[in-house]
Amino acid sequence: MDGAFNKVIASITLRAVFGRKRALLFAVPPLILILITVVLKAARPPGTPWPGRILGDFGFSVVLSLTALIIGTSVLGAEIDEGSIVHLLATPVRRSSVIVTKFVIGAVLTMAFVAVPELVAGLIATGGFTRLAVGLFVGALAGSVVYNAVFVMLSVLTTRAIAVGLLYVLIWEVVLGNFVSGARLLSVEQYALGVANSIAHYGALNAGLTLTTALIMGVIVTVVTLVFATRRLSEFSLKGDAV
Amino acid sequence: MSAEHEVIGEPARLAGAETGVIHDIGYRRYTGRRLGRAQIVRALYWHSLRSAYGLGRGAKAKIIPVLTFAVMCLPAVVNAVAIENGQARIVPYDTYLFQLRVVVMIIFIAAQAPELVSRDLRSHVLPLYFCRPLRRLDYPLAKLAAFITACLAIIEIPLLLLYLGTIAQAHSGTAIWAQTRALIPGLLVGLMWAVLLAAIGLALASLSGRRAYATGAIAIYFFLTWILAGILIAVTQRNVVRAVVVHPPPGAVAKGAPPGAPGPGTFVAHEITQVPTTAAHLSGLVSPFTTLDGVRLWLGGTSPGPVPGVGGYGALYGAMLLVLLAASLGGLAARYRKAGMA
Amino acid sequence: MSTVELRNVSRWYGNVVAVNDITMTIGPGVTGLLGPNGAGKSTVLHLIAGFLAPSRGEVTVGGAASWRNPGIYRTVGLVPERDSVYAFLTGEEFVRDTATLHQLADPAGAARRAIAIADMADAQGRRISTYSKGMRQRIKVAAALVHDPQVLLLDEPFNGMDPRQRLHMMDLLIKLGAEGRTILLSSHILEEVEQLADTIQVIVSGRLAASGDFRAIRRLMTSRPHVFLVRSSDDRRLGSALIGRPAVTGVELTGGGLQVRASDFGAFSRELAGLARDQDIRLRELLPEDESLESVFAYLVES
Repeated sequence: MDGAFNKVIASITLRAVFGRKRALLFAVPPLILILITVVLKAARPPGTPWPGRILGDFGFSVVLSLTALIIGTSVLGAEIDEGSIVHLLATPVRRSSVIVTKFVIGAVLTMAFVAVPELVAGLIATGGFTRLAVGLFVGALAGSVVYNAVFVMLSVLTTRAIAVGLLYVLIWEVVLGNFVSGARLLSVEQYALGVANSIAHYGALNAGLTLTTALIMGVIVTVVTLVFATRRLSEFSLKGDAV
Repeated sequence: MSAEHEVIGEPARLAGAETGVIHDIGYRRYTGRRLGRAQIVRALYWHSLRSAYGLGRGAKAKIIPVLTFAVMCLPAVVNAVAIENGQARIVPYDTYLFQLRVVVMIIFIAAQAPELVSRDLRSHVLPLYFCRPLRRLDYPLAKLAAFITACLAIIEIPLLLLYLGTIAQAHSGTAIWAQTRALIPGLLVGLMWAVLLAAIGLALASLSGRRAYATGAIAIYFFLTWILAGILIAVTQRNVVRAVVVHPPPGAVAKGAPPGAPGPGTFVAHEITQVPTTAAHLSGLVSPFTTLDGVRLWLGGTSPGPVPGVGGYGALYGAMLLVLLAASLGGLAARYRKAGMA
Repeated sequence: MSTVELRNVSRWYGNVVAVNDITMTIGPGVTGLLGPNGAGKSTVLHLIAGFLAPSRGEVTVGGAASWRNPGIYRTVGLVPERDSVYAFLTGEEFVRDTATLHQLADPAGAARRAIAIADMADAQGRRISTYSKGMRQRIKVAAALVHDPQVLLLDEPFNGMDPRQRLHMMDLLIKLGAEGRTILLSSHILEEVEQLADTIQVIVSGRLAASGDFRAIRRLMTSRPHVFLVRSSDDRRLGSALIGRPAVTGVELTGGGLQVRASDFGAFSRELAGLARDQDIRLRELLPEDESLESVFAYLVES
């Protein structure tokens, strides 16, 4: 009842996310992941081992990041953008409840649309429940959680949450993460890879953090962003007339 | 309550007559010059160009354009510093820093294309535009021209900075001329980039009135295909193993060995080279960025890029470029032909 | 218990002052918040509703501050102006979900009652996306009433309503006001507020320009002459033409232009343009000297 999961908000959020046909944008990356996996499995290309590249680089850099971005910014961002959040906030429901509920919905959706396809692709690519496939699945689960916390927070902070999130994913994680090793500490993709690699022990995965570091940082980032998001939501303001 | 209301000019109430009256309240009509279609298009172009950089909106709207431009200029700056320290130019003109350019353009286009196009769709102002002497296709063309200009500036200005930083330390006319000759193809490649990417970006953005979805669609298309192309190229390269006999320097022959025999220090090494297969040559067609690179190679570009040679399929890359461009232009035209009352 | 109080409340955005030192108390009954567009009415409503923080001063509802206090919504119902509802829900689902969020014991029952009050029982099974604008307003009112609030805030509630719906809404608000609730509605349309409100608060340019009984204020306004500054291509000739009109009580040539006193603003404004054109004088500028009251006068009296 209190700062916890709220069923009404959950149902509204789910219906809002799936109500707009265009929102199924986030089904595209996982579908392509599975498609490419099937094609490569059949084609058996000669070069560098492709499962690691497809499941790891493509799966995490593109599918996990982008899909989490789209889902994470639409569970709350769409309502704020449309203004319908007012009807939700004009009730005594706790702001922490709103944030937590939307975060959980986003994380679960991301797990369904990223982690599960990642596992399916992993099974196809490696031929079974190998360490790589399972590791990447677990890593994707972890990544879903932390990414959604970050993106829900961004939705409260700015109306251009998806553009800012894209900046973060492309510049911070992709560019800086490869050049500046310190940036890895604040890269959600690295947390996910760290968790994945602790199971997979796969050298070609671009994992720079140990399991402990990844878990600790992941938990810290999740908690801090959610608390901050709650704080900002309780200060949610409506503009007056033409100012 | 309406005691003060005097009706100036009552409508005539003659039997059977339907007359209307326009009350003369001293309103002056505009009798000045009215600008025509060309000026409307020009104004639309200029306004769209300004919104691509966030000018005319708050400070927040300028953050991404400024940031992306600054990041794009970094290699030019680094190069200038290296030149000062006596090194040769480290960044090529025709590819620039490819990965950086890709990332910057994805962000810029995903963030700004919706600003040009989605806002108008969301606020339903298109009927207002089209009730002026503006032809249907003028609108998307003006927007496209503006966005191409915007992307062009982000791509070419850093190239020019690179050039200026390099020739600043050049001492002879021939050196400057050599740099200029190298720059021109780079500028042309940049032009190709701007035209194709702006067209695709606007076409994708015009699909949605909500900026978030437009940004998402653009980001997914560009980023997903880019990473995919890179991976496909990497995994479709064949490893060719060659046995290489490494000889010692001449004259060093072991004692007591017959002449011509391998001397001390001779060994056999295995050299592994990555040779692109047909699939690798074709993988570049998946992403517009690698397609552009393939066309660059086809047209004679020499700097190494993500595409490992076009292997005779250069014309295919050229065709792909035209197909993408045509699809984007067609999409824009179709969108705005029917969006009149949207 | 259901009194809304603003004490020296100001709200600014950088250089723009949206609400300028307003002190007012709103009690039971229907109060109208009047003012031209951009005057600050929505800002005041959002301040009271806890959706905006005052830059200075205090806003309280029933003694409790409304900012950062979600508990306030047990007694406050808000009908926002923006046409933003969950379009994919049916009317009934929307009101019932709101009731659940208000932690009511019987959400479905409360929803049924609220929907009946708002006269939306026929359409409640349809998605809100199929509603007309007036219907959306009514379902928003139903959602705002579902928890039986003591204070009801409505931002331009008659927007988009046809006359029949408007009459029905007015009857509803009068009834709610008679029950002792505090109803505050904002509008820039005089007639609506006139029939509805016992007291009005007039806001112009962020300031509280007038408050109290509507008819008393009007009487105050008509007895004042109004002063304008006119700049034209030939002030002297315009002045001599104007002094001949009955609506004008005084004309003075000053360094800055032509100062005109008019007792009947309506007639004056209508005649000025025609007069200037007849005399072939170009009007450059027309400024009221006492801005705020002039605007108040304009839409209080001139319908």
